[in-house]
Amino acid sequence: MSTASEAIELPARYRRLPRVHPALRRPLAVTGAAILAIWVLVAIFAPLIAPYGPDVLGNSLSAAPSSAHIFGTDQLGRDVFSRVLYGARISLPISALLVLMSLTIGSTVGSLAGYFGGVVDGVIMRIVDLVFAFPAIILALVVTAVLGPSLQNAVLALVVVSWPTYARVVRGLVMSASQREYVQASRLLGASARQTLLRDILPNVIGPVVVLATLDFGNAILLLSGLSFLGLGAQPPTAEWGAMVSYGTQYFQDWWMSTFPGLAIFSSVLALNFLGDSLRDALDPHGSWTTRGGRR
Amino acid sequence: MALSIGIVVVSFVLTHMVPGNPALANLGQNPTPSEIRVFDQRNGLDKPLPVQLGLYFVHLLQGNLGTSQQTGDPVAHDLSMAIPATAELAITSIVIALIFGVGFGLVAALRRDGVTDFVLRILSLVGVSVPTFWLALIALYLLFFKLGIFPGGSRLSPTDTAPPHVTGMYTVDALLAGRWSTFWDALHHLLMPAMILAAANMGLLTRYTRSAVLEVMEHDYIRAAKAKGLSRRTVVFGHILRAALPSIVTVIGLAFANVMTGAVLVENIFSWPGIGQYGYQSSTTLDLPAIAGVSLFIAVVYVVVNFVVDVLYGVLDPRVRVE
Amino acid sequence: MSGISAVFLRRRIALSAVAALAIALTAYTGSSSAHGAARSSSAGTLVVDTSFIISSADPARDLDPTGYIVDHALYDTLLTEHGSSTKVQPDLATSFKASPNATTYTFQLRHGVKFSDGTPVTSADVVFSLNRVINLKSAPAYLLAGLKITAKGPYTVVIKSATPNPAIPQIVTAPALGIVNAKAVMAHGGSDAANASKTDHAGQFLDQTSEGSGPYTLTQYSTNNQITLTANPNYWGPKPKFAKVVLRDMTAASQLLNVQRGSNQIALDLSSQQADSLKNNSSLQAHTSASPNLFFLQATSNPKVSPVLANHDIQQAIRYGIDYRGMVATAGTGAIQAAGLIPVQFLGGLPTSYAVKQNIAKAKKLVAQSGLKNPTVTLSYPSDISVNGLSFATLAQRVQYDLGRIGITIKVQAVPVAPFLTAYSADKYQLVQSYWGPDYADPNDYLVFLPGGSVSSRMDWPASANPALVALGKRAGSTSNNALRAGLFKQIQEKLDQSSPFFPLIQPAQAIVGSSNLTGVALNPSWLLSVAEVGTK
Repeated sequence: MSTASEAIELPARYRRLPRVHPALRRPLAVTGAAILAIWVLVAIFAPLIAPYGPDVLGNSLSAAPSSAHIFGTDQLGRDVFSRVLYGARISLPISALLVLMSLTIGSTVGSLAGYFGGVVDGVIMRIVDLVFAFPAIILALVVTAVLGPSLQNAVLALVVVSWPTYARVVRGLVMSASQREYVQASRLLGASARQTLLRDILPNVIGPVVVLATLDFGNAILLLSGLSFLGLGAQPPTAEWGAMVSYGTQYFQDWWMSTFPGLAIFSSVLALNFLGDSLRDALDPHGSWTTRGGRR
Repeated sequence: MALSIGIVVVSFVLTHMVPGNPALANLGQNPTPSEIRVFDQRNGLDKPLPVQLGLYFVHLLQGNLGTSQQTGDPVAHDLSMAIPATAELAITSIVIALIFGVGFGLVAALRRDGVTDFVLRILSLVGVSVPTFWLALIALYLLFFKLGIFPGGSRLSPTDTAPPHVTGMYTVDALLAGRWSTFWDALHHLLMPAMILAAANMGLLTRYTRSAVLEVMEHDYIRAAKAKGLSRRTVVFGHILRAALPSIVTVIGLAFANVMTGAVLVENIFSWPGIGQYGYQSSTTLDLPAIAGVSLFIAVVYVVVNFVVDVLYGVLDPRVRVE
Repeated sequence: MSGISAVFLRRRIALSAVAALAIALTAYTGSSSAHGAARSSSAGTLVVDTSFIISSADPARDLDPTGYIVDHALYDTLLTEHGSSTKVQPDLATSFKASPNATTYTFQLRHGVKFSDGTPVTSADVVFSLNRVINLKSAPAYLLAGLKITAKGPYTVVIKSATPNPAIPQIVTAPALGIVNAKAVMAHGGSDAANASKTDHAGQFLDQTSEGSGPYTLTQYSTNNQITLTANPNYWGPKPKFAKVVLRDMTAASQLLNVQRGSNQIALDLSSQQADSLKNNSSLQAHTSASPNLFFLQATSNPKVSPVLANHDIQQAIRYGIDYRGMVATAGTGAIQAAGLIPVQFLGGLPTSYAVKQNIAKAKKLVAQSGLKNPTVTLSYPSDISVNGLSFATLAQRVQYDLGRIGITIKVQAVPVAPFLTAYSADKYQLVQSYWGPDYADPNDYLVFLPGGSVSSRMDWPASANPALVALGKRAGSTSNNALRAGLFKQIQEKLDQSSPFFPLIQPAQAIVGSSNLTGVALNPSWLLSVAEVGTK
């Protein structure tokens, strides 16, 4: 199964997040940050920028791009440009939420496993293995067959399959951090598990996890839109990018219906990967643009 | 093994919690109560869940995965038809990804921090960032519809007939039967979906290879080899790539997983009758035995691929011995 | 009964509306040009792209659209139809006689017909095949409900019905009632005995080999890939033009691209817009017409499920709030607004001029009059199927938008068709978007929409809700004079439009597109396409 955990196999190399990122001086990082910033602004100000509402049905159906509708209109006469803009309000925050949920669950479970070891570790890692054996989409197919297709259920299915990545990484980081002398010392001095984890170990873990989350953010967008493309995620009339591509495929002759939302997915994921990649460079100068895993 | 059992139990229980009635999904417009009863009896749906699960395991040990409610054929038979189609696609795609990914990674490492390195870095990031389903649509539109370079889906031209079934992989079977034209036709149909599936893994492999090669290049013996005046070719392929291979191999397991996930989308778009499409169709029709069969197969693939990767790693890296 | 199933149904058994009680067809000789293709040797490959909906190549086990195309090519039936006409024509039976009370039908079989393996076709094969359908209790069994099939000599078959049934000649054209080689099927586990539903194991055999007397034989079968048919050398009728027919499982998007690049190719699932976009392409022919399928909304009558919808003013507001013209435009050329629940082309169908017109002011007034503040309703629809290239989601979004404008908030809920059907039948939904594909082209198939009928009861509209309407339905269903019957059905639909939980929306367009050099590219109401009738110019 895809394991971004393998990506970050050398925790010792990572340092705490530096105050000023040298990464930001690099062209990729700057490009990525710029594109991302544009999308974030679009997401926030969509109602102000968009010429039409996302669900307003107009009278010109399936019209090619023109000055009135720069991305054309869809089968119901909705403005594709406006829908792409509003789509940023779905894909970005929901994917971020997805990453945050996976990160929280995975980190908690992973640090417990790494800190306590033994039976706790054994049981948790067996569960992690079990989940890893399911490709995300297959599990999502089953989950949506059981619960019905919706954005919430798609997020649920993806959280179920993506927390183990974090669990594995954090477990490894916590294990190696626990070996450090000052951590051992603090434990001997009677610090509680909670104190040790939060005060001594967490700072060592946070850097790699942030990199992982940035890269995973892009993956989350891809997976979520993939599920919507299959009709298992966001449901009409939600202006979700993957669903829009899927809807556009039904009208292949009208290329604009699927091309533009696809470009939106691509550009935002690319921006996140540019950024994540540069961030990793900054945190891990040794390997430069090293390895990463991806679920698609 | 325990893992596989776990997966069978999870997928079985999950799918059997479905609120829909499979009889209604499969019996057509107006099933009578007696038709539903017959359907449920035939498919064992009238028994309690633990009994159904127990029966499933008993049948599984006999190599019986149940009967698909959708196709009416044994799930094992359906899988035996779908698996070779996906295997052919997946293997071709991984080979393409390996050739380009390892090649690009090697070049990037050798030209570290140069323009080539930068361009390849962007290419690999594009590879992991592009939505597979969107790439497939664009490729279908441009390469098939506009330019006619590749055929537009399915495994063979309609005028051709499938080669005699040996492996189920059309390219291999055509070669075995000595049918060259069929082989080229099958390969022609295979290439476009395989390349699309390869995009993400190519990006992944480029990055892995680059970092592995860079790491190797720092070792003293490589410097020594260079200093000894060995040809660049010998150093790169004989020493550097060989030493980097074990870490590249570990990515293949990951790459296979990516391909299985991508296959659901790509097979859907290219009318490729593989495991991804079978899984998708069975889940939308609530074909419980089929979903359980697909999950089981995927779990087995996971276990097998990881085992093979471990073995390969051991073979390639003398420091690791597989017991 | 329902208009939808996961294996959803476009099949319709077209019944001649005329209750022709005694028709004797003249003897039919095989050399007639009725099949379109002249008697010549077969060559070449015909490619038909369609989204597969097929569960078996065993005719007795399948009612699905793709299954019907295949069965119609592999198996002869007692009677048949040609092209897009629903007029009954001879097939295995050269003639038949009906008793005056329409309960007994006697069919004379053609002599000298052989199955693809050379075995002669006799009445024993017919009796076996039809009894097997009855006793397998699979989906097609309902076609023969209440019928008794017997042989009277090797070339005479008698079908008896308990009640008068003028539909029998039309029913026996159904490809599910194809005649199989009794000996060969029995040798491979087939059975027509009363317990056949448990003992028959011939399904898998018939998925590999066809045992029929039709123009083609089966060479390759896969439910999610490709089905290959080869011309039957022993076929008694005119030889089909194409030696090989390949049916490929393709999404509509792929079909659109393939048909433009291929030759000798037909696409069956294009939407009307897609067909329109090809009308100027000289290498293609595209035909669109109104489909007999009918989309409608259905509201629950159970105030516990939705107090909002139980309100008569809200029901009427919905009726006047929908932009039917916009909906027809979205559905494309050939689509029409449905005035009632019976398609216009059927006996008793309400002309489009009777259709409800959008009236936003009136609808808003009705919402205000209802006294409900911010009425909110959940609209459920099957998410994973489309009818004639039109997805349920498209129409649901139109409804949501239109009703939003008159002050009714609609929450749309997409559900995969299997759980959808379960919840729909169990009265779990407030408002449902559904469709009805006719089982046969007769208004009696639409009595299910009356109070207490099987579709009405799904959402709790009991017979007690309107006993007068129920009585009117009973009368209409048993009236033998068709002019009278048509009038009664029109009256019923007008009453339904005035007050009922049903809201007829549209009849979508159906399209077929093929290479321009082909002949016989026509949609048949039952089996969509008769591949054996496709030839070249």
